[in-house]
Amino acid sequence: MRSGGLKVLWRRIMQKKKEAVLIETKDLAHEYGRRDENGDVTGIVRAIDGISLTVRAGDFVTVLGANGSGKSTFARHLNALLHPTEGVVYVDGIDTSEEEMTLAVRQTAGMVFQNPDNQIISNVVEEDVAFGPENMGVPSLEIKKRVAESLAQVGMQKYRHHSPNHLSGGQKQRIAIAGIMAMHPKCIVLDEATAMLDPAGRRQVLETLHRLNREEGITILLITHYMEEAAEADAVYVLKQGKIALAGRPETVFGESDKIKDCGLALPDVSRIVQKLNNAGLPIDKRILTPEKLTEALGRLAAE
Amino acid sequence: MIRDITIGQYYAADSPIHRLDARVKIVVTLVYMVSLFTFQDFAGYAAAILFFGIVLALSKVPFSYIMRGLKPVLFILLLTGMLNLFWTPGKEIFAWGVVAVTWEGIRKMIYITLRLALLILGASIMTFTTTPNQLTAGLERLLRPLKIFRVPVHEVAMMMSIALRFIPILVEETDRIMKAQAARGADFESGNAFQRMKSMLPVLVPLFVSAIRRAGELALAMDSRCYHGGEGRTKMYPLRYRGRDIFGYLCCLVYIAALAVTVRISPF
Repeated sequence: MRSGGLKVLWRRIMQKKKEAVLIETKDLAHEYGRRDENGDVTGIVRAIDGISLTVRAGDFVTVLGANGSGKSTFARHLNALLHPTEGVVYVDGIDTSEEEMTLAVRQTAGMVFQNPDNQIISNVVEEDVAFGPENMGVPSLEIKKRVAESLAQVGMQKYRHHSPNHLSGGQKQRIAIAGIMAMHPKCIVLDEATAMLDPAGRRQVLETLHRLNREEGITILLITHYMEEAAEADAVYVLKQGKIALAGRPETVFGESDKIKDCGLALPDVSRIVQKLNNAGLPIDKRILTPEKLTEALGRLAAE
Repeated sequence: MIRDITIGQYYAADSPIHRLDARVKIVVTLVYMVSLFTFQDFAGYAAAILFFGIVLALSKVPFSYIMRGLKPVLFILLLTGMLNLFWTPGKEIFAWGVVAVTWEGIRKMIYITLRLALLILGASIMTFTTTPNQLTAGLERLLRPLKIFRVPVHEVAMMMSIALRFIPILVEETDRIMKAQAARGADFESGNAFQRMKSMLPVLVPLFVSAIRRAGELALAMDSRCYHGGEGRTKMYPLRYRGRDIFGYLCCLVYIAALAVTVRISPF
């Protein structure tokens, strides 16, 4: 009875935690000055324009957008690398424009960048993973523990003493993720971290992210232009010219094929097939995203 | 050829030399390099080569691997060797216009090339057995007194370690740019030295552009991982002298003593 009560209480606490808002932006806008050769401002580019969204703790959120849609600019606000021209960004309740809180923001929401080579700072994997905690002033013994833990979390413990130069792109990105995990963040923001990888590397990174999300409860904000990476997300936002053009669960967003094309994105293969089948007169649910679900639906249709 | 550059690279292994404190390795390497200039005779070189050989054997770095480090400087080695061979006055073996080969010249050629080679090999065995971060930490600690004179010790050490990290990446990039331009008809092989240097210009411009872009991205990545200078930074492996490090210093002293003795009693 008593332990049952505790269990219910625990579940309620976890539920609350899950509902807690981790990232919140309100009417976020950012302007870059366009400069001529002499460095004089000649015009203003509004890279992002009035983005309001919330990410709950523990969610896996994908932000989609074509080149120039403002998705990288948006990502940099979450890490206090850029400050808003208008609006506010809260990361775990902290206003990112408060300068003395910058380090706390960066520790809460770690960031993985596009080019794996340009974010690894050491010739030895474990030293690179230790870089974040070293900067934070974590005691030596604790750093060693965290390095071992986070390398295990991304499945790279075998390479602890290796040089990153001989690793594949996917492995390098997993090292970069381990480097963020060692800082014990609540959230990882990935700014096109899969864009330079081959399909195998992309799969490795995505699997790692989903596992961290599931098992460690890390909130993931994946910024990409590959739509298929959004298939398993809890929520999807599509950016177009600095504004949110579409938002919702992946099934609903993927159903809006015209709008998606309008945003400069390509539908995943499965969605394209579903659409063509529909055009040909076969009634298949437009929200189907995976090959397995599609075969199932086709089988059911054939049985009828 | 360009991939042969091994200067400043780390060779992962578990050896007594790898385990030594970075400060020991830096100090001993410096002492060793200076010591190479203190003698002019056979016995001195024998002692220096012996010391290097022992360290190399202990370090488990393969002989062929460390010798590759000499390849990029082969030209300089040959040139200085030749100059010494032909322009040293002494007992002539044969003369040929202004140049003359002398016994002294031959001896000097061998010694000078050996000295240069040992200088480079000595430095590379340090970088082969010390990770860049350890090297940075060691340098930072050794140079700490300079902080009184407002020398940005941490920043300099950090810059050095990042430079080491990016050597292989930039080498690869150079290779790629050269291949891309060769595919479009660029010619890096023919012509005299001046023409060949000129043909490298279209390689250097994109290389610099990309290096600057990389630097920008790296700075962002370091920022986002809470880097804010040396203030309040801790280390995963803090430097602490142990018994073996004292032993390392002692070995270095023994080498110096041996050198002093051999140089004094040497008959050559």
